[in-house]
Amino acid sequence: MGQLSMYWIFTRKAFLRSSVYRFEVWSRTGSNLIFLLMWGSIWTALYAGREEAGGVTFTAMLTYIVASQFLDGVNEAGTPLWEIQEKVRTGDISLELMRPFDVPLRYLFADFGSVAFYMITALLPLYILIFLFLNLALPTDWITWVYFILAAFLGFLIRYCIEMTFGLLTFFLVETGGIEDIFYFAMSLLSGSVIPLWFFPAWLETIAVYLPFQSIFFLPLSIFIGEIKGAEILTSFGIQIFWLVVCFLVLRFVWNKASHKVVVQGG
Amino acid sequence: MSIIEVNGLQKEFLIAKRETGFMGALRSLVKREFIKKEAVKDISFTIEKGEMVGYIGPNGAGKSTTIKMLTGILVPSAGNVLVNGIIPYENRQENAKNIGVVFGQRTQLWWDLPTIESFELLKAIYRVPDQRYKENMDIFKEILGLDEFLNTPVRQLSLGQRMRADIGASLLHDPPILFLDEPTIGLDVVAKEKMRTFIQEINRERNVTVILTTHDMEDIEKLCKRMVLIDHGQKVYDGEILAVKERFGKMRTLVVDLEEAQKPLYVSGGEICKQEGNRRWIRFNRDEISASELITQISQTHNITDLTVEEPDIESIISRIYQEGFTEPQFV
Repeated sequence: MGQLSMYWIFTRKAFLRSSVYRFEVWSRTGSNLIFLLMWGSIWTALYAGREEAGGVTFTAMLTYIVASQFLDGVNEAGTPLWEIQEKVRTGDISLELMRPFDVPLRYLFADFGSVAFYMITALLPLYILIFLFLNLALPTDWITWVYFILAAFLGFLIRYCIEMTFGLLTFFLVETGGIEDIFYFAMSLLSGSVIPLWFFPAWLETIAVYLPFQSIFFLPLSIFIGEIKGAEILTSFGIQIFWLVVCFLVLRFVWNKASHKVVVQGG
Repeated sequence: MSIIEVNGLQKEFLIAKRETGFMGALRSLVKREFIKKEAVKDISFTIEKGEMVGYIGPNGAGKSTTIKMLTGILVPSAGNVLVNGIIPYENRQENAKNIGVVFGQRTQLWWDLPTIESFELLKAIYRVPDQRYKENMDIFKEILGLDEFLNTPVRQLSLGQRMRADIGASLLHDPPILFLDEPTIGLDVVAKEKMRTFIQEINRERNVTVILTTHDMEDIEKLCKRMVLIDHGQKVYDGEILAVKERFGKMRTLVVDLEEAQKPLYVSGGEICKQEGNRRWIRFNRDEISASELITQISQTHNITDLTVEEPDIESIISRIYQEGFTEPQFV
């Protein structure tokens, strides 16, 4: 437990640190809103006045996109991929190796702080307003909200493991542009963040279903709009936990490899 | 047991060879060639508790690589390292509690937060008890003058302030060993002097073992009794600074300005090592010939308009060792 209290201080300090960058909060919120507007308009146009498509009502679809943008905001408040790569490249992360803490865990707890700050100051006030004033199909029973929050949290952890792993690959590669492309492609398309998996062509849906990315957006969002319900929710959690374990093990593996092979630039 | 034991230490890096041209780029896509670079070839030394040792060498000699292996962030290719009884790279987190590290070139403080926040963070990381934290902070405030900028964000500190904060931060958890990598780089004379006084005090009062890497020979002269000199990844000298000064300090340089510079000058007992216009630099060994004898000798053939005798400082001694090696005869 003493361990945990040590990591919590990273959360606290990261929270404080975020408050230094107030402009970043505004600009990030601005761009989040613009994307919300864009995807909202695109889906409105795609439905073209129809009540439903693919068995999903327009209202549900709109709810999906709004909640997705909310999750996107949460996930993007953590340490971004390029920053991890930068820390690897400059050797900053290697220097952290001489501290008595676990580096990936320390970044996770720091991310909690940044996310908390962004949520309290921008995301929650904004999305509460949106949820109140837009005509959305919000969950009516509290237990669905709880399931959604739980699933979203699991998704956040999975995303963290994947993003950190991708960032740590910088240790082994000279160029990392390709890694970034794969990551952002997977995060935007395969995760179902902008197009739900049920609209995918069958072959692509099959691929997406067997990958971890759907756990980050698609599963929590489907729970939120009631597309996944009843016993399916348990299966959905099962899938998420399975991927969390896998992604966590992969992260530990890559981290162990990386920290053993540390090549400090300019050594 | 010595507090630091380094035995037959080696570290080689593989550096990707960059191919030139379009075909080269294509080739490197499929097959990448590596060049082996031996940063540390074979280094051994031991350091006793409470010692203050200067670890010096020219750029690229392998200083930082050695330090990184001692801190556990680099794994040696061969050889053994023992720091306070721990193998650093196998037990990094344990080792971390025993060492304090200051890199002059980069800070370990949180860039965008007030300085005090970094100290609080480190207090939590190293689990420094409240009482000890307070005592240490009081000392640092007093000697390092941290008070004046504890609430300023690190990014707004001057270099001198930042270094003071950094060295305080590295000592917060009372490590028995302190690694200082160019702790005075970029500081002005006054700030350098303050820094040295503080290091001395810490060494004396807390018996902290200090390993100091620097290019500033004054740091070494003022702080260390012993120095380990390395070049091209190998140890060139390990011993007292005084001994080096004794041995090489006998060398003097007589600088004379001559009237008839075109007339050839021959001196016995000394060596003309440099000439420029009317000026000649003559190196000689104090034990073999005195300056006045040399001057008498020269004045028989030439008119001397001006003269000075230069004593070597440690810096020029060391640069000579780099150029000529330690064991080679020092004088012809």
